[in-house]
Amino acid sequence: MRDRAARRLPGFVLAVPAWLWLTVFFVVPFLQVAWFSFGEKPGMFGTHSNAVMSLDRYAEAFSPTFFTIFRATLWMSVLGTVACLLVALPAAYFMALKVPAHRRGLLVALVMVPYWTSFLIRTIGWKVILSSEGALAGFMTDVGLVGDPHDLLNTRGAVLLGLIYNYLPLMILPLYVAFDRVDNALGEASKDLGAGRVRTFFQVTLPLARPGIIAGVVLVFIPMMGDYVTPAVLGGAKGTMVGSLIASQFLTAQNWALGSAMAVVLILLTMVVVVLAIALLWGVGWLVHRRTELVVGTVPPPDPRLPTKEVVTA
Amino acid sequence: MNKPADKNGNVRILASHAGARAIRQELSRRHFLSLAALVGAGAALSACGTGDGGSSSAAEPGGGATGGPVEKALSIYTWGDYDAPEVIEAFGKTGPKVTLDSYGSNEELISKLVAAKGTSGYDIVVPTGVYIPQLIENDVIVKFNKDLIPNIAKVDPQFLGQDWDPENDYSVCKDWGTTGFVYDTTVIKRDLKTWDDFIDAMQKEASGKTSLLDDPQGVAGLYFWANDIDWNTEDMADYDAFEAEAVEKWAPHIAAFDSYPSTGAMQENTFALMQNWNGDARLGILEHKQPDRWKWVLPGPTTELWMDNWCIPAGAPHPEAAHAFIDFVLEPENSFKEMDYIGYHTGTLGIEEMAKERKVELPEMIFFTEEQLATMKNGAVNKAQDRRTEVYDKLKAAASA
Amino acid sequence: MTTKATPDPPSGSVTIKGLTKTYGQATAVDGLDLEIRPGEFISLLGPSGCGKTTTLRMIAGFEKPDSGSIMIGGKDVVRLAPYQRDVNTVFQAYALFPHKSVAENVAYGLQQRKTPRAEIRERVVEALRMVRMLDFADRSPTQLSGGQQQRVALARALVNRPGVLLLDEPLGALDRQLREEMQLELKLLQSRLGITFVFVTHDQGEALAMSDRIAIMRAGRIEQLADADTVYNQPASAYVAGFVGQQNFLQGEVSADGTTVETPIVVVEGPAKPDGRPGEPHQAAIRPELISIEPGTVAEGLNTVAGEVLQVSPLGEVIQYLVKVTDETSLLIRRPAHGAVRLSPGDQVLCGWAAEDVRLFPLDTPPDPTTARSPQ
Ligand SMILES: Nc1ncnc2c1ncn2[C@@H]1O[C@H](COP(=O)(O)OP(=O)(O)OP(=O)(O)O)[C@@H](O)[C@H]1O
Ligand SMILES: [Mg+2]
Repeated sequence: MRDRAARRLPGFVLAVPAWLWLTVFFVVPFLQVAWFSFGEKPGMFGTHSNAVMSLDRYAEAFSPTFFTIFRATLWMSVLGTVACLLVALPAAYFMALKVPAHRRGLLVALVMVPYWTSFLIRTIGWKVILSSEGALAGFMTDVGLVGDPHDLLNTRGAVLLGLIYNYLPLMILPLYVAFDRVDNALGEASKDLGAGRVRTFFQVTLPLARPGIIAGVVLVFIPMMGDYVTPAVLGGAKGTMVGSLIASQFLTAQNWALGSAMAVVLILLTMVVVVLAIALLWGVGWLVHRRTELVVGTVPPPDPRLPTKEVVTA
Repeated sequence: MNKPADKNGNVRILASHAGARAIRQELSRRHFLSLAALVGAGAALSACGTGDGGSSSAAEPGGGATGGPVEKALSIYTWGDYDAPEVIEAFGKTGPKVTLDSYGSNEELISKLVAAKGTSGYDIVVPTGVYIPQLIENDVIVKFNKDLIPNIAKVDPQFLGQDWDPENDYSVCKDWGTTGFVYDTTVIKRDLKTWDDFIDAMQKEASGKTSLLDDPQGVAGLYFWANDIDWNTEDMADYDAFEAEAVEKWAPHIAAFDSYPSTGAMQENTFALMQNWNGDARLGILEHKQPDRWKWVLPGPTTELWMDNWCIPAGAPHPEAAHAFIDFVLEPENSFKEMDYIGYHTGTLGIEEMAKERKVELPEMIFFTEEQLATMKNGAVNKAQDRRTEVYDKLKAAASA
Repeated sequence: MTTKATPDPPSGSVTIKGLTKTYGQATAVDGLDLEIRPGEFISLLGPSGCGKTTTLRMIAGFEKPDSGSIMIGGKDVVRLAPYQRDVNTVFQAYALFPHKSVAENVAYGLQQRKTPRAEIRERVVEALRMVRMLDFADRSPTQLSGGQQQRVALARALVNRPGVLLLDEPLGALDRQLREEMQLELKLLQSRLGITFVFVTHDQGEALAMSDRIAIMRAGRIEQLADADTVYNQPASAYVAGFVGQQNFLQGEVSADGTTVETPIVVVEGPAKPDGRPGEPHQAAIRPELISIEPGTVAEGLNTVAGEVLQVSPLGEVIQYLVKVTDETSLLIRRPAHGAVRLSPGDQVLCGWAAEDVRLFPLDTPPDPTTARSPQ
């Protein structure tokens, strides 16, 4: 229906800034990091040298310690992403489908409010709230939810809380857009055809919002894997993440070669995890779909002696 | 945050004390500053240096300073928030416009200087003592023109002529400190005296409320000091024993690795037991709303001594100003202000008496007795660095589990 | 001729009483009463914004009425959710699930009711066959044309064998030819299945062609509910008269003796006395096809005017004339093409009509489709 030929040229032209941006800010730095990772630290008076090329830095990066911390990081990020998803799903659904259209802009703006302050400041804000002297710790100790006011800060739970808090908007927004794009009439059609709210959500709304869910999951999971500020601030010793391991190679040890190798390993492993996760999501979707799948194929013509209506209205 | 894993057999060194003087500064701001550096990690990547390990060309003694007119500018590259602003200002009034830039580790400082090959633009740097032999060897710092620093004579000889620069040709003491611990007497009701007590309390009353220095050498030190082993040991069996104890026994009880726990988290009573540099501990106690709650211990049997030093990098564009500044800051009155601001002993003669006269609070956390000094020992740059860092990383991984 | 979807006698009936719905200040449906018989094809006809969709949505359960009652098959449904009502809807934009195939779309309602798999398949096949879409069963609805999607939407609703099927302008998006084809199909299907159809449209031709009865809506109420013939020939009001088919409206006032309506151009006599006191404003409506036209210049007596032909449009079986009577008034006239006198623009003509073909109405709101007064 659309005039595709007329759109082809502007479409290509419009994509150029995006490609440039990706190339300059992602591909080039990545290639540089990859290049460093094959080098070495040339004595203490240098950060990196590619005079001798080897895979030795990778051998060093693949240490049990790295994997222990990687596992912890992965676990935190997976938990954080799932928690974000669970919180964002109802929130985005509510914003997109239950709130009058003229209030939605305001809600979207409110979701973004935390972003008006620096990432660090708002994380430190939680540190104050969770500290053993904070009101929260006092309250939770008083009502017996925790035994000791020190049990809030410097725990995995605090890290998880910080991760959810910091990345939730990145999950809500794509979900909101996805839900917003689902035609309201489809939900009504589903209810009209006998499905309740819950079934309508799982059989119509959710599958149609799947691209948004995947976008949200990727958008939240990847930065969580690289985040080490939130864990460092809120997790103390429990918050050692791969990101901090890498950062210390660059900032403190000044061993850019090893830091780069770790970064490359992190990027590759994260990609593998993301691909697996997306495959899993599709798989779940496929399984759910299979329950309602119906393939008709070719059907022989009906027996002419049987009037159609009798079957339909029997 | 972490001190690095340094796998290349390079020197790693003593606990630094970068932000140790957070005096009169608001807590959150201080933390913001140290973490802001963290967030800026990306910048390190893009600002790709050329560190090919080459050394700068042979530098002239004194960086060319002959006592001529002092230049109009002075650029100091030092640890964050490490100098009394009034001293810097006062020096600025004598002519040069002073700019300050900061680093977070000796490695960072050295990499930057080496990469710049004498074009860093800095006039003064403040490395920790044990790095100085390598800096000299690689012509990264230059000899003083000692004629221009007569105030060296006002430094206590006890703090001159250190192993790394016996004649003080290249360096002079900026300040020095040691490592001890602070504990919350409302949580730990018994008297703690030694590193052994520290390790014991960490696994008992202070489990989950203990912080260790965010530094491989400081953490290794904890084990060696407690067991009265030379903390510069190169016997790998010692490190195996250290690893076994730290990873298996300590890890579950550690709440954080934090080099500035007292001025930071201690203000909210986050920790009950903190391995701590004396300056940070002192400021933290002074700032706390209930100072009596905390007890500082300089534990036995041994502990560390570290010293930071004024040095002039090769290629310094304003050598006259650099010499003038060092001389200026060694002047006892200025040195006192520095001491008062950062809470570390600057090594100037008579400063302890001045402090007593002027009623500096908690002087026992700045000035130490002969007997105490005898228990403190410099760290060393040696071949155990890798192993130390490896154990440290394993401990961190275990603690985060 | 009809087979009932379910044996219960009142199934398929809809009784609406005093139904009201307001959105803020605006009243969309205003005390609407409507009685729909089982198995009938009823159209809701009215101009845009008169409340057709709102009424339908309240029957379906998507909208909660402010007051009034709705009974479907004798059961009060106001408090029931859409899926608890014995109705299905064909949506204006079809609302087919894009992530499901055509067959899965049709199967959806049956799956919700936990129908056995084998039966689902059988019924889906039959429903698709019924709308002649079986060959497209495994396609995605996004790959179908508008008319095809329309049929799938129909099959998806009908496969559930509802007592009542609600259709909100289901043919609105189709081109004329397809629309006419579908009208016929829909009507055939409906009479074969015997399901009650409530059909919303603002196309009066569509309503006239398909419906057993037509409910003419105006500002949230039913103005007239009757079969097509009655609505066309015995409109209950000037509004209905103007809305269904075309009309020439002549405005004037009741004559002194109260028997005729005197307009500036002609004195009109109707089949009965005008329902008003002498001097009250009144109007007469005459259908274009009921006006005779012949050459002539002098109008004499009642129900006759003289004018000048402005335009002649041959429309196939009929010829349409536009006759200028005065500068402000012209008449629209349609005569069978066969045997008509040949007239051309500029000819002087006499127009006349029989008294029994006139409809007289008090002048309330002026009806909007005043085709007779627009010389284009
Ligand atoms: N959700 C709503 N919010 C506010 N006003 C509404 C809403 N839905 C309908 N209305 C108003 O109610 C009145 C009736 O609307 P409705 O959609 O029932 O008209 P309709 O007869 O279906 O018109 P159309 O032929 O244009 O579809 C209109 O004035 C409309 O503006
Ligand atoms: Mg409508």
